[in-house]
Amino acid sequence: MEDIREVSDAQLVTMIARYNEVALAETYRRHGGAVFGLARRVLNGAAEAEDVTQEIFLRLWNQPERFDATRGNLRSWLLTQSHARAVETIRSLTARRQREINDAHKAARGAYDMQHEAWDVVLAEDVKKALGELPPEERRAIELAYFEGYTYIKVAEILNEPEGTVKSRIRNGMRRMRATLVESGIEGADR
Amino acid sequence: MMSHDEASELLAVAALHAVDAETLAAIEEHAATCPRCQSELDSYRVVAAALGNSVEELPEGLWTNISSQLWERKGESTVMPELLIGDSADVVAISSATRSSRRLRSTIGAVAFAAAASIVVLALSLSSAQSHVTNLEGALQSANRSVVQRALTTPGHQIVNLTSASNQQLAEFVMLPDGTGYLVKSNMPALTPNDTYQLWAIVKGSPVSVGVMGSTPGQVTFTMDSSPSPSELAVTVQSAGGSLTPAKTFVASGPVVAS
Repeated sequence: MEDIREVSDAQLVTMIARYNEVALAETYRRHGGAVFGLARRVLNGAAEAEDVTQEIFLRLWNQPERFDATRGNLRSWLLTQSHARAVETIRSLTARRQREINDAHKAARGAYDMQHEAWDVVLAEDVKKALGELPPEERRAIELAYFEGYTYIKVAEILNEPEGTVKSRIRNGMRRMRATLVESGIEGADR
Repeated sequence: MMSHDEASELLAVAALHAVDAETLAAIEEHAATCPRCQSELDSYRVVAAALGNSVEELPEGLWTNISSQLWERKGESTVMPELLIGDSADVVAISSATRSSRRLRSTIGAVAFAAAASIVVLALSLSSAQSHVTNLEGALQSANRSVVQRALTTPGHQIVNLTSASNQQLAEFVMLPDGTGYLVKSNMPALTPNDTYQLWAIVKGSPVSVGVMGSTPGQVTFTMDSSPSPSELAVTVQSAGGSLTPAKTFVASGPVVAS
């Protein structure tokens, strides 16, 4: 019997399509922490992140055909799904209120924790480096959009910049990071 | 539909989900028809995913929550238990049958469930009288039109004799072409309450959990996908609650063979 841990991600998805619960469990083991970690980062709350993680894996179970291996790897796809769902959640009024409550709790815990929490998680060194090397205005725009879940229009409002400027900064920043990731050989960035 | 120029300007922000849902849908609609934009969007998404590629320890119990919902469908009533154990303490609701579109069961299935449920009640009195080992033969004698008896006479049924490494027969199952299966007889000794028997189907060489059977399996009925059909059934002893992956050793296993 083939060890499930030796099976590729693409094979796991095929097995999931054949109703193999063990394959889903293995997918969860491999990628669940990343899916949960990103959702938690965006939502600032473990309970909401659990809901997102649960939804993402149930969606994979029910609609495995939505994953297209020719357009990226499984982890990227799961993270994209996780981020989309987390952003959708944070943009709802209820979640926004919850976030404020969570922020208040974190503020009470100490500014150091708040400031460093994002970097305490294990970001790939290359990505961290790529983001860190961006011009500050590009980095800030990307962080607000990606980690805080704001639309670029809202980011423009927060930064008091024209929408077109913010859009360009995000695009330029993403291109720079993509170039760095291509140099690092990250799969799928070199399309 | 959004123009190419409009869409291409927004691909990077779209990859960050930094647009509203309506705009994102319009961008994706365009990208689906524009290979250049699709490729660009995909590459930005890889960057975004790498940016969010952190790993956190998963909360305890999260997988259990996910696992428990695998065979349910939103908006539908919860599936009735399809794996029934003859012990009031562990009438277990685990379906190995269907997800979403494969959910619907036949009327026969509903009748079978009702009949199986009645067997469970009977099994309770049997197990209390006989303590450890429950033999379905007794139930069969007492229950006219037993679903198990009917299964044994259904054309195309398959029999699985599960034997231990020492060649002792521990259980016999009958499986119908629609994927429904029943425990015909069991010689599985009672376990401590901390342990449970778990049934596995071997499909294309991989074990797929059928469900937990409790510490004193009496009457069991289950439904699983008939395609691809399992080549074997196997039983493991796991900690109560069952496991996602089987224990290293099967306590019993046997090939699925046509009767």
